[in-house]
Amino acid sequence: MEENFNQDLQKELRREAIKRNWQLFKQSKLGMIGLYIVIFFLFLALLQPFLFLTGIWNKGVYDPVVGYEPIKDTLLVVECPKEYPTEKYESYQDCPAKGEVNVKKLYMAPGVEVGDMYETFIQPAPPSRRHILGTDSLGRDIFSQIMEGSQVAFILGLLSATLGVGISTILGTIAAFFGGKIDAYLMRQSDLILMLPSLPLLFIISAFAELKVWHLAVVLGVLGGLGGSVITIKSQALQVKVKPFVDSARITGGSNMKILFSHVLPNVAPLALLFMVFSVTGAIASESVLSFLGLLNIDMSWGIMIYLSQTDGFIFSGMRYWWLILPAGLAVTFLAGGFYLVGRGLDDVFNPRLRKR
Amino acid sequence: MAEYIIRRTFQMTIVFFLFLIFSYLLFNAIPGNAFSNLLLNPNLPPDAYQRVLEIYGLDKPLLERTQMYIVNFFKGDFGYSYKYFPKTPIELISERLPRTLMLFSIVNIVAFYTGFFIGKVLAWRRGSKAETWITVTSVFSYTVFYPWFALMMLWVFGYKLGWLPIGKFLYPEKWYDAPFDSDVVFTSMIKFTVVISLIQFAAYLASRGIESLSLRRNIRFGSLITIFAGSYFYWNNGDALIQKPYASDIAFHMILPVMVVTVVAFAGTALLTRTTMMEVLKEDYILTARAKGISQKRIRDRHAARTALLPVVTSFIFTIVTIIDGSVLTEQIFSWPGMGQLLLQSVLEEDIPVAMATFSFVGVFALIAHLLADVSYSYLDPRIRIKSQG
Repeated sequence: MEENFNQDLQKELRREAIKRNWQLFKQSKLGMIGLYIVIFFLFLALLQPFLFLTGIWNKGVYDPVVGYEPIKDTLLVVECPKEYPTEKYESYQDCPAKGEVNVKKLYMAPGVEVGDMYETFIQPAPPSRRHILGTDSLGRDIFSQIMEGSQVAFILGLLSATLGVGISTILGTIAAFFGGKIDAYLMRQSDLILMLPSLPLLFIISAFAELKVWHLAVVLGVLGGLGGSVITIKSQALQVKVKPFVDSARITGGSNMKILFSHVLPNVAPLALLFMVFSVTGAIASESVLSFLGLLNIDMSWGIMIYLSQTDGFIFSGMRYWWLILPAGLAVTFLAGGFYLVGRGLDDVFNPRLRKR
Repeated sequence: MAEYIIRRTFQMTIVFFLFLIFSYLLFNAIPGNAFSNLLLNPNLPPDAYQRVLEIYGLDKPLLERTQMYIVNFFKGDFGYSYKYFPKTPIELISERLPRTLMLFSIVNIVAFYTGFFIGKVLAWRRGSKAETWITVTSVFSYTVFYPWFALMMLWVFGYKLGWLPIGKFLYPEKWYDAPFDSDVVFTSMIKFTVVISLIQFAAYLASRGIESLSLRRNIRFGSLITIFAGSYFYWNNGDALIQKPYASDIAFHMILPVMVVTVVAFAGTALLTRTTMMEVLKEDYILTARAKGISQKRIRDRHAARTALLPVVTSFIFTIVTIIDGSVLTEQIFSWPGMGQLLLQSVLEEDIPVAMATFSFVGVFALIAHLLADVSYSYLDPRIRIKSQG
C-alpha cells in the first residue's frame, strides 16, 4: 500500500517537474522558434511516406531518386547575335532569355524558323502547381527531395548524437569519478581521436568503406563520443563530484556504483542532453559537407542536392535557377539552426544563472 | 605541477607513437596506391609498375614498412613525396604553411575581436529588440551550411558584381617577372602582421591599469596611429617597396575568403561570450559594483567582461588547433593552395609520406594545446585539482 503511494507520489513529482521545466522553456522566445522549426521539418519528413501510402503522390512521378515527369513548355525561337551588347541582350549570358531558345541549339529539329513557337520538355522546370519547388535537371521533384533529405537528417542527426553523447557521458563521468589511471587512459584516448583531422579522416574511411546513412551515423557518433566531448562532460562531472551531496552519500555508506549512477550521473544528464541537442547541429553539417564533396553512398540528401546543383553548373547561374540552389542550403541551415535554438532554450531551463530574473 | 607536466609529456609521447602507427596503417588500408595509375598507361613496359614499387619500397610487407617508417620518423627522416618526387614533405609543408597561417591568423583575430565585442553587447542589452535580431543573425551565420554560403558569396562578389577575384591567391600574369617567390612575400606579410598585433597587444597591456577612461582611450588611439604611420613607412622603404605591388595583389585575393570565414567564425565566439557574460552578471560583485555607483560601461567592460573572457580564451586556444583541419574546406572552395589542400590532396592521392607528415604536424599541435588547456584550467579553477586528473 505504502509502496504504491510512494510510486504515485514520485510520478506526481516528476510530472510537476516536467510541467515546470516546460513553463521555463516556453519563456524563451528563440527556443520556441527553434522548436517550431524542428517540428516543421519533422512534419515534412513524416508527410512524404504518408503521401506515397495514400496514393496522393504517384511514386513514378514524385519519387525523390527515380521519379520523373516531363514538363511541357513552349519557347520562342530566336537567333542569338554574334556581338554584344545589342538592344535586347546585354551580354552572352542573357541570350536566350527566359521563354526563348537559340535557333542554333535546334539543329536536331529541322524546319524550325526564327520567330516560331517551339514545344519542348524542360528540365529543370520552374515551380508550378504540380511541383511546388520545381524539378531538378533530371526531372525529379525538388520538394520530395527536401522531404527525403529531412528524413536522412533526422535519422543521422538524432542517431549519431544519441550514440555520441551516450558514450561520452558514461566515459566522462567514469573518468571524473574514479580519476587516476582510468582517467589518464580515457583522456589520452580522446587525445588520440582529437589528433586526427576530422574531415580527411572521414575521407579515408569513405575510401575503404561504402558509407550509408546508418554507417555514417555510427562513425560520427563514435568519433564524436570518444573525442572532445568526453573532455567537456568530464569537466562538468568534476564540478558535480565536489558538491556536498556526493560526500554525504559516501558518509551514509553508498557504494561507488550507487553514487555514480544515482547521484553523479543524473546531475550530469541535463548537460548531456543539452550537449546532444548541440551535436545534432554538427552531425547534420558533417553529413552535408561529405555529400557535398560526393563521398557518401546515399541516394538523396540535402548535401547531395547542393552537390548536384554545383556539378551541373547551376550554382553560378545565379537566381535564374533559384529552386535548385536555395531550398537545400536553407533547409540545412534552418534545421541546424532550429536544433541550436532548442539547445539554447534548454540551456535557459537547466542553467538557472542564465534566466532573466 | 612540474611532476604533472613531466608525466603528461611521457603519456603524450606514447599517444603520439600510437597515433603514428594507427595513421600509417589507416593510409595503407585505402585500396590501391599512389602509383596505381601507371598500370593504366599502355606506353609503359609491363614491369614498370613493379620497378617503381621497388624503388619506393612499397613491395615490402606492411609491418616491415611501418617499423621502418617509425624508426626513420624519430630519426627526423620523413622520406620523399610520391607525387612531387625530389621534394621532401618538410619542404612542401614549409612552402604551404605561410599561406594558411596568413589567411587564418587574420580571420581568427578579426573573428575573435568582433565576436567578443558583439557577445558583450548582446548580454548587456538582454531582452531588447536589437538583441533578438543580432542573436538570430549570429545563429544563422553559426549554423549556415558553410560551402553553400561560400559559393553564394563567390557568386555575388566574384561573378555578379565582379569586384573580387574568384579563387587563386594571385594573378599569375602579374608575377611573370617577379624577382622573388610568393613565399618571400608571404613571410614578410606574416612578420608585418605579427609585429602589428604585438604593438597593439602591448598598448592594450600598458593601458590596462590606467583608471581614467579617456586617457586609456587616447593611448590606444595613439598606438593605432603609430601603427598606421609605421606601416606606411615600412611599405615605402627598402625591400618592402619592391614587394609592395605583389603583397597588395595577395591581399586583394585574401579579401573574399577572410570576409566569408569571418562571418561564419565570429558567431561562435559571440554566442559563447553571451552565455558566459550572462552567468557573470548574476554574480554578487556586479551587484556590489552597481551599488557603488560605478558607470554602466565600466561595469560591463572592466568587471563583467574580464571574467567572462576566460572560457572564451580557452575555446579560442582550441580554435587555433583546428586551423589546419578547418582550412581543408575553405581552401578547397577558394582554391587557396595552403596546408588544407596539401592535406586533402595527399590523402586522396595516397601520397603517404606527405599525408603522414601533415597528419603528425596537426597531431602535435592538438596534443600541446590540450596540455595547455588543462594546465590553464587548473590555474583558473582551483576546485579542479590537477591531482585528480592522474
